Amino acid sequence: MIDSVPLEWVLLVAAALFCVGLYGALARRNAIGILMGVELMLNSVNINLVAFWRYLEPHQVTGLVFAIFIITVAAVEAAVGLAMIIAIYRSWQTVNVDAVDSMKG
Amino acid sequence: MYEVIDHVLNVQMGLGVPGWVIHLVRHVTVAGILLVIAPLQMLLLTYLERRIIARMQDRVGPNRVGPEGLFQPVADGIKMFTKEDIVPTASDRWVHLLAPCVVVAPVFLMVSVVPWGPELVPIDMNLGLLFFFAVSSVSGAGLLMAGWGSNNKFSLLGGMRAAAQMVAYEIPAVLSILAIVIVTGTLSLVKILNVQGGLFTSLNDVSSVPNLGLGWFVFTPVGFLAFLCFFISALAEGERTPFDIPEADSEIVAGYMTEYSGMKFGLFYLAQYVLNFLLCAITAILFFGGWQGPGVEWLHSRGVTASPDGSVVFTILANVLGLAYFLAKTYFFFFVMVWLRGAFPRLRIDQLLDFCWKFLIPLTLVNVVSATLWAIAIQWGSPQGLAFLEGMGEWARWGMAFALTLVINAAAYIGLVRVNETSGNQTTVAEDRQDRSMKTATLS
Amino acid sequence: MQLLVQVIFVLIAAEIVGAAVMVVTAKNIVHAALWLIASFCGVGALYLLLEAEFLAVVQVLVYVGAISILMLFAIMLTRHVTGKGAETSLYQRWWVGLIVAAVLFAAVIAPTVLAHPWETATAAPALPGETGQPAAMAGIVDLGRAFVEEYLLPFEIAAVLLLVGLVGAIVIAFEERAARRHIPTLAEEVAHRRQPE
Repeated sequence: MIDSVPLEWVLLVAAALFCVGLYGALARRNAIGILMGVELMLNSVNINLVAFWRYLEPHQVTGLVFAIFIITVAAVEAAVGLAMIIAIYRSWQTVNVDAVDSMKG
Repeated sequence: MYEVIDHVLNVQMGLGVPGWVIHLVRHVTVAGILLVIAPLQMLLLTYLERRIIARMQDRVGPNRVGPEGLFQPVADGIKMFTKEDIVPTASDRWVHLLAPCVVVAPVFLMVSVVPWGPELVPIDMNLGLLFFFAVSSVSGAGLLMAGWGSNNKFSLLGGMRAAAQMVAYEIPAVLSILAIVIVTGTLSLVKILNVQGGLFTSLNDVSSVPNLGLGWFVFTPVGFLAFLCFFISALAEGERTPFDIPEADSEIVAGYMTEYSGMKFGLFYLAQYVLNFLLCAITAILFFGGWQGPGVEWLHSRGVTASPDGSVVFTILANVLGLAYFLAKTYFFFFVMVWLRGAFPRLRIDQLLDFCWKFLIPLTLVNVVSATLWAIAIQWGSPQGLAFLEGMGEWARWGMAFALTLVINAAAYIGLVRVNETSGNQTTVAEDRQDRSMKTATLS
Repeated sequence: MQLLVQVIFVLIAAEIVGAAVMVVTAKNIVHAALWLIASFCGVGALYLLLEAEFLAVVQVLVYVGAISILMLFAIMLTRHVTGKGAETSLYQRWWVGLIVAAVLFAAVIAPTVLAHPWETATAAPALPGETGQPAAMAGIVDLGRAFVEEYLLPFEIAAVLLLVGLVGAIVIAFEERAARRHIPTLAEEVAHRRQPE
């Protein structure tokens, strides 16, 4: 892998994934859609970490350790985020984030 | 395997092909064999299940096609192939089409890591056990796709029940195998099997024991409790009867399969039976020694793979005997599954989840602690600052570990049963009262 | 062999990014979630290509097996009726997000990645040519040791975080039994309708 595919390619794939996720998080009105965008961004970060680990420091475990921490945090974030979305849906009957606006001035 | 193909292609046929072609041929051959064997297992299991359950219900069961009805599954298969494939107009066509594939594919991937005999290992993966459970969790997505794509209330209910059940029962299943992983210190199914030689104690624990292939983990307190929890979770993951609420035909027609017909329905059926076979197989491998049994090791050590002057006959005999042990254990567990189907009524979904969260998960967590103590008592020594353990003999260490974990596990089991009995009664009474008052409030 | 790896890499990359684009553009939110699963699987394949087998398996186990299913569940719990309500819409000024993302990629990340001199050459001596397996690549055993030695405190904190997340999710999504809308059973409805007569 590392002698046939340069590191830049992998990083560009991760960057593209990050930007697609960012667009999803910015443009979607549906709260679950936003969460999906955030998950894509976290995945792209993970690709970066694993690529750096493999290409730059394959003897250290730091990259893998951080990737696993990110997966943990992503799992917690998804669980709590979806619980909040369900709670919001229960009182607002919608999951569109711009409809939940009772706290605006 | 590599050498055999190399010999046939390069020496006998004189083709002079490079190494990667040999690897490719090898993997394609193995994959082909597995893709044939797995559906055959499904055919045999459906036949067995129908015959056994018929016997239990005082019926005869299928006995017309072939001797004792043995070709009934083939006839069923032909019927399914020739049936019309109906897709509901309101369904989501692509999701409806892809769902059976997403359910079937992981099951066939899971087949690839199961060792059938001392040499009959499709892939000896370092992470075999983790791979098995990771891939099995993918089919939950397929079930939800089937439920949602059919655009049918029953399908949706069935799909959501199935996914909830799979996700919930994955936790006790993985926690109970975690105990075995801690004791053996490996995730490779082949290594877990190799350790289970010996007689009553595994080779890991007491090395001086004669190797009769009977050092199964089920003989240890840790393994026994893990086996019970794992098998119950396997029943839930395979949607077997006490937990078959996703396809409870008396409530929601056929669950997520309601809108499927013809071969797509057949694929769901195939996935389910192959999954059941695999769950039985993994139970046999993890806790009952898989192919390990009296005689296999003796034959294997005289075979060509163990020593250079061994003979091929012994290797083949060892594998055949190992395969026989493995299949006997696996089919026995499948028989137990059918037996449970004949004996128990179906649970409600809240009972199912209560049982998982209030009983199985605490029990498996305690079991993980016992497994850690077992590993400490057997494996640790002066490097960890426990030099006194090294002074004890192997049997003394084993006995200490056995007694300690037995006490902990038995206490945890009894305690949890008591807690669940008392708290269960209280909540049901309180909930009943609340329900009744609410009903009168809403209805009046 | 190099060409083969390159082709596989390009296919996987196209799958990841293509599925991700479908995630953010799909009209139907359920389809978006299904495309998300496809994208996650592609990332798992990329990890395999990068020789991080453990992470690939964890990716499948956590993202595909748990997070995606959780999302599908949440979608199905937050819809009005089947079909309708699954439709999603974008903000009116969605093009702002598009411009931000595109500019970030084209003007910031891509030039930085391409311009930076990556020191991958240092890793080359440790990987002796065509023989395949590198001498001492960090494996699953090293990873396990790192978690209980060097990274013990972060590991424990992550465990506490998971526990807090578990409790928090239950507390937030829990519905009081008294507040739940009571759906009468068939028998109750029959009894209720008979009463006035």
